[in-house]
Amino acid sequence: MSRLGNRADWADDEEFDDPSALPAQQVITNKDGTKTVISYRFNDDNKKVKVTRRIKSTVVREHVNPQVAERRSWVKFGLEKGHPPGPTFDTTSVGENIVFRPSINWKAQAKEAEKEGGEKGSMKDQLKDKKVKCRICSGEHFTARCPFKDTMAPVEEATGGAGAEADEDKAGGLGAGSSSYVPPHMRGKAGAAGGEKMGGRFEKDDLATLRVTNVSELAEEQELRDLFERFGRVTRVFLARDRETQRAKGFAFISYADRGDAASACDKLDGFGYRHLILRVEFAKRST
Amino acid sequence: MRPILLSGHERSLNQIRFNKDGDLLFSVSKDKNVCAWWTANGERLGTYAGHQGAIWTVDVSPNTVILATGSADNTVRLWNIKTGECVKTWEFPTAVKRVAFSPDGSQLLAVTEKRMGFLGAIAVLDIAYGDGEGNNLNVQADEPSLRITCTESKATVAGWSFLGRFIIAGHEDGSVSQYDPKSGEQLETAQVHEFDHQINDIQFSPDRTHFITASKDKSAKLLSARNLAILKTYIADTPLNSASITSKKDYVILGGGQAAMDVTTTSARQGKFEARFYHKVFEDEVGRVRGHFGPLNTIDVHPNGTAYASGGEDGYVRIHHFDKGYFDFMYEVEREQLRK
Repeated sequence: MSRLGNRADWADDEEFDDPSALPAQQVITNKDGTKTVISYRFNDDNKKVKVTRRIKSTVVREHVNPQVAERRSWVKFGLEKGHPPGPTFDTTSVGENIVFRPSINWKAQAKEAEKEGGEKGSMKDQLKDKKVKCRICSGEHFTARCPFKDTMAPVEEATGGAGAEADEDKAGGLGAGSSSYVPPHMRGKAGAAGGEKMGGRFEKDDLATLRVTNVSELAEEQELRDLFERFGRVTRVFLARDRETQRAKGFAFISYADRGDAASACDKLDGFGYRHLILRVEFAKRST
Repeated sequence: MRPILLSGHERSLNQIRFNKDGDLLFSVSKDKNVCAWWTANGERLGTYAGHQGAIWTVDVSPNTVILATGSADNTVRLWNIKTGECVKTWEFPTAVKRVAFSPDGSQLLAVTEKRMGFLGAIAVLDIAYGDGEGNNLNVQADEPSLRITCTESKATVAGWSFLGRFIIAGHEDGSVSQYDPKSGEQLETAQVHEFDHQINDIQFSPDRTHFITASKDKSAKLLSARNLAILKTYIADTPLNSASITSKKDYVILGGGQAAMDVTTTSARQGKFEARFYHKVFEDEVGRVRGHFGPLNTIDVHPNGTAYASGGEDGYVRIHHFDKGYFDFMYEVEREQLRK
């Protein structure tokens, strides 16, 4: 009899009790003032999922003029009558970011920018009064056709006009002083002797570049851009990918237009959970 | 900074105004609606409907209870800001080009157009605020308490000086004059801009001791309200429609652009549709903000100096909240001053 009763009992066993029931939500208050909320839900495949959220609440106190505070409770009227609170998309939108930095010699800078823009506009104009110039003797012929080709090394353009003797000196110096090879397109530039790095173009905004590691394999550049653009204007997103599989290698570089934005992004996104991994964000070190 | 674009109007903007606390922005355009916007997020609070023609001008009372508008339908209307109702309508013989509340809000001036045999005039209306809780706002005087007629050249814009001591008007011929708001008598007049170049805007500094004029002669001038002396001159390369003085930082913002009728013959780049920032004291141009597709018709600065808004011929209002770089910028002398 008791055995039978036991058998009847097993149907009531918890495991079989109610497969759709979910454990109640748990809220734990941690020592550091944060709260951990553990809740359960079913996902799309009807599997039970445990969701653990850690919530840090900060109280932001703002002092507002009481009249202003009273106005905030006003209800909408006219064409907006009955609309829910919050801006509507047909009347309000956010424009693209404008970089506005006042500067003392604004006029001169604007002129320069305009000039640059104009030059880019037509290559023909730019090259109109350019003549063929030999890199060896500055004569009006191609370098390959120069009569001194075999006897002299190419000179730096900066000293080109200084006179033949000076040129020879410099040329000799270049050959003897720095043993490393300088590719032709790097010659004549200020930093040529020091050996300019590839991608020197980016050097100046290195200060505002973040290195992001522990990025998910499935990450997309656009996603990263969206994530990081919240903090300011992003000028470059580089996500390293495997050449064959096209999957992300796990690190990325994000360049900002402004260092302050980069700092706040670094502060906020270090330790941020992205996909299934926790991002590590730090300022990129200069590659030397 | 990311500007907030407000596209509540179907035609070109004529004037925009912040209220005294800077939480609301009012805009009027050639379509017949007045819009009220929250400055912080660009949400539209509502619209005020009732005018039958293009609305030229708007002003908000210092306590943000009453809104005044002047329109091409020859009326000045008062609105209950909170509810959107029209509480009073005054009829004038011609269109109303500018309205402005006195600093204490007890009076309103209205500049009327010269047309159909009527001379341009400035009417002063007394404003009552009912019981102080937004009731009985419709109890207003029916007749203007004062009427100043401009016999020489019509007034295009006008405003109140410090403590409402003077009414200052800008004229079509480029002159500025000062009137006594009690007697209506002209106290002083000065030809500050080139002759026959209309003054398009007058805006006062926060304490109303000086004001800036924007003129068609491609310059803006800072004038003393007391004796109309020219304090500063800001030269631009385009006709100016609006000028404003910023608080907190010492700048002036000028807006203008090719006249609307010439716009189609030039590219957007040449149109110079940019807000220009000049240093108020040194008269140097320090930067520009672009964004509009047409000339800027009106500019207003947040009373705290943290934002500015511009309305253009393109029908958009753009609210710009300044970011850190704007506040950090200082001339070397200013920085030294700060160190002392």
